[in-house]
Amino acid sequence: MKRPRTLRIELASAQPVYEQIVSGLRALLVSGEFESGEQLPTVRQLAIDLGVHHNTVAEAYRVLAEEGWLDLRRRRGAVVLDRRDPKATPEAKQDFRKHLEELIAKAITNGVPRSAIADRMVEMARKLGQGGTR
Amino acid sequence: MIQHSEWIFGPFMLALVALVTWAFWMLPQWTRPGIYFGVTVEPDFRKTPEAQRLLRKYRLEAMIHVAIAFAMILASALPSYQFFAFVGAIWLAVGPLTAFVEAHKRVQRHAVKAVTVREAVLEPRSTRLPGGWIVQVGPFVILLATGVFLHFYWDEIPARFPVHWGIDGQPNGWSSRTPMGVYGPLVLGALISACMWLTANTLLRSARIVDRARPVFVLHDFAHRVGLFLLVIELFLAVVFSCVGLLPLTGAMPVLIVTFLMLPTVFVLIVWLNKGRAHIERSSETHPQAAGDGTPDECWKFGMLYFNPDDAALWVEKRAGIGYTMNFAHISAWVIMALILLVPILGLVVARHNR
Repeated sequence: MKRPRTLRIELASAQPVYEQIVSGLRALLVSGEFESGEQLPTVRQLAIDLGVHHNTVAEAYRVLAEEGWLDLRRRRGAVVLDRRDPKATPEAKQDFRKHLEELIAKAITNGVPRSAIADRMVEMARKLGQGGTR
Repeated sequence: MIQHSEWIFGPFMLALVALVTWAFWMLPQWTRPGIYFGVTVEPDFRKTPEAQRLLRKYRLEAMIHVAIAFAMILASALPSYQFFAFVGAIWLAVGPLTAFVEAHKRVQRHAVKAVTVREAVLEPRSTRLPGGWIVQVGPFVILLATGVFLHFYWDEIPARFPVHWGIDGQPNGWSSRTPMGVYGPLVLGALISACMWLTANTLLRSARIVDRARPVFVLHDFAHRVGLFLLVIELFLAVVFSCVGLLPLTGAMPVLIVTFLMLPTVFVLIVWLNKGRAHIERSSETHPQAAGDGTPDECWKFGMLYFNPDDAALWVEKRAGIGYTMNFAHISAWVIMALILLVPILGLVVARHNR
């Protein structure tokens, strides 16, 4: 049986909950877990399941809609869009590189072995090469 | 000389006291291992000698309250002490609850931090009520049809008709051909149906049924079982209240037949519902238990009442007893509560009219 797709948040984290929702959903969308046209849970349903306020989930959905991942239509809920790869600006590329370097530095500081980081990155690169992104 | 009503009243009160005693005795056992007297604890805490000591203390205090209440109810049988029946009944409900609140305070010393990880399943889920809208409006259609029927046969309704019979089969309660006397039971039936419909509907749509320790689809199946259970009860009650409404034209026989059919059906449904619950418990054995239920302790008043404006869920798992309780930070919880309280009030109004 296929494992259900889940979204996990950590309330005690320093990162705001809406950002965690955005990050979690974005990761699923990037990895192609959702087909275009598929519906995400409604704001109400996701807020109930996560035990957070409606506004928190609504804000997260708004961010994803602005990024072009979701179509938020009244009464239709959040629908996944067929998002073609946009042309990255030099700023976006630089931003990505900076974030990646910071993330790796933090992981090393937290004791994650360099080899484990490298393995994971190779795995992700392979996935990216196989077209796991939109 | 002992009246028939006393014969019934005695065993009824004894059964009620026995039921309340059993319920308060078992109350702390009915929650998940990570919750003890409404407090977040380690899942293994309830097996420790300290937890057992606190349980014994609670049970002793609760049983003292039950004994006091029972003594008052017994004393009410004496002439000019009837008011003790009312005080005793209140004591029976409130007394053991104070013992629970005291135990809740004692257990707080052993509280641990609840798990702060939350997980949501992103798969589509059906929030459709069992049978769909057509079946869901069934109870209201039955009651409305009875009302229309009574309207057309108004002239055939006697000016005064019996609505209650003693154990000897003789009528001892009467009603009259007035809008309240004729349509009152139907309105009461519609109100009860509305409460049950609202409960089933909001349970399916606004209850948090995702749980790290239990598979979501098992829990969802249980919520649907609860919805179906409420629907069958609703349909039966609609038929019972329709038969009560038709009393002036048909006599008591239809009410008796439907009631006798309803009792075994409810029993079978409870067994079926319990099977669904057992399924949840079995499935949770394969999943690790966590401290607490994912809700913060500070949002639980006395370990029983949930008030969390930051939680979108209207229904959450109870911390004292089986089932769900409402999040009273939402206005809809108060609306549902007001509707439920309206049932006994309307019942009393109809009963007073039928004297």
